[in-house]
Amino acid sequence: MIYDEPRFLPGGDRYVLIEFGNEMNLELNFLAQGLASAIAQNKTKGVVETAPCFASMLVHYEADQISYADLVKELRGLIGNLGSPENIELDSRLFYFETMYLDPWTKACIEDYSAKITPKEYDPAFVARINGLKDEHQLVRVHSGTEYWVASLGFWPGLPFLMPLDPRAMITCPKYNPPRTWTPQGTVGMGGSASAIYPVATPGGYQLFGRTPVPIWDYERRFEAFGDSIVLFRPGDRIKFVTVDKAQYDDVEARVKDGSYIHNMVGYQKFSVKNYKAWVGSLDRSQRF
Amino acid sequence: MLEIIKPGLETSIQDYPGRIGYWNQGFPPSGPMDSWSFRLANLLVGNAAGAPGIEAQYMGPTIKFGADATLAVTGADMRPKLDDKPIPMWESLAVKTGQMLTLGPAVNGARGYVAFAGGIDAPLMLGSASTFHKAGVGGLDGHALKAGQSVPVKRANGTPGKKVKAERRPSFTSDKNWKVEAVRGPNDDWVDAAGHKQFLSFAWKLSARSDRTGYRLEGPDWTFTEKATNKAPEHGNFPSNIIDQGYPLGAVNLGGQTPIILVNDGPSMGGFICPWTIPSAAFWKLGQAKPNEFFHFNEISVDEAQALRRKLDAICSPDSIE
Repeated sequence: MIYDEPRFLPGGDRYVLIEFGNEMNLELNFLAQGLASAIAQNKTKGVVETAPCFASMLVHYEADQISYADLVKELRGLIGNLGSPENIELDSRLFYFETMYLDPWTKACIEDYSAKITPKEYDPAFVARINGLKDEHQLVRVHSGTEYWVASLGFWPGLPFLMPLDPRAMITCPKYNPPRTWTPQGTVGMGGSASAIYPVATPGGYQLFGRTPVPIWDYERRFEAFGDSIVLFRPGDRIKFVTVDKAQYDDVEARVKDGSYIHNMVGYQKFSVKNYKAWVGSLDRSQRF
Repeated sequence: MLEIIKPGLETSIQDYPGRIGYWNQGFPPSGPMDSWSFRLANLLVGNAAGAPGIEAQYMGPTIKFGADATLAVTGADMRPKLDDKPIPMWESLAVKTGQMLTLGPAVNGARGYVAFAGGIDAPLMLGSASTFHKAGVGGLDGHALKAGQSVPVKRANGTPGKKVKAERRPSFTSDKNWKVEAVRGPNDDWVDAAGHKQFLSFAWKLSARSDRTGYRLEGPDWTFTEKATNKAPEHGNFPSNIIDQGYPLGAVNLGGQTPIILVNDGPSMGGFICPWTIPSAAFWKLGQAKPNEFFHFNEISVDEAQALRRKLDAICSPDSIE
């Protein structure tokens, strides 16, 4: 649900988390991103930085400049002035990501976790089973069967938090218990209903089932698609995973290595919230690919 | 110029407060884990409190000086020596070209700090010299210092013989037990009363699988409220799973059933609840705790946490130097 009143939750001496609702819903993400923009435009006193995510936003503030109570008052005012997301139309780039599902590297990572931390079922088989899919091959079809919305960046430099835009591709799974201490660079995985690409080898808690060789952060700025940023994505981008086999994966990886890889991105489309909602409303959500 | 003879165990360049302002792209602040000791080291040699210096963890480095310098060693007791002669900590001293500084294993505490008059001359990456080595960001080349590397130091004159007033130094526990402040929230209503009581009463053991991204704690399983079990499926169906959200630095992040304190190089977002947050003024204790030591958490309010921070910032000022 979307709350009537946002919830303000303290995080120690320098953070407040603002929760707009408790589901995965594009409107909630627009509220979080909208509040972040409003704070930036308003230059709210004492705010050091913000981190909007799917249904909430974290504010980092400096208590010597604004008290917790005054900050909450300021933020309530800004939220009250946010318009409805209904009429938003925004430029949205679409990236095609060559991805090898059911790849040997994430399989090795899962086996390593099972051997060293705690035994667990092979992630793709597990996610397929708990979502009532026939097998991991149907999981691949469902997971790669939708565009994903980049709701935010976080966890690790450049990591995109992704929401499936087609409700027929909405699946869910728990996160690791306990989390992994490492994950291969470029791993594609999911937790809850969120998907992500791991930019580099990092710890992590998502279920794993694919890997992409396409770089999503570029410390040395070798690839044109990054422009003047070292992270590829920005909120409001979309991603479509394109399934590739090992030979295609190796080819892309070689191009990334020698610097000749060109990101497959289209930039002529606008995302209309109204059109999207109308389209979602027209679907039979019980269908599965 | 400094020459790294032996790198020690993950010795890195850090500045304070680190890489601030990029949490929404996933960049952590990094910076010294014990900013109390770090800032005082800088003040001893006449630097701004946040100037780039060195953090050594568990086992310190051996450094040869390519030029005369003024330095100060603070933090964990790594039995610092200059050319095999013990030198005092919490005090500035002059070193000559060709002399060798050796820091050994940490006897008390876990992280030692060395500041040099002028500060280390490292390139700024997104406004900071701090090393976030797991992502290859900051420092000289994105990583911890290596043997044979040369580390440039800006030229400045420090004054030898400056000391930190005795009552202004942090005191590290010698019995493996640390009392650490904690503030309730942001996701405290996912944990039930018994779970909170247990968090505040149990002696949580710091796991060896801990680093500058997260401090894993070993202890009993957590118990939850109805909110954690009766929720929309997109949270993920384990009780501590929540729709991905921004994390406070210092959050006690419940990864499955394992509490992980998110420290200086920690993740900015994720899908686990954070029922408690360690306030910034208590981070120095985390930085000085070793694996297999114990944390005892005591609850304080947001106001108390902010007052503690003001107190610590006041200590980390030139007033503390004599």
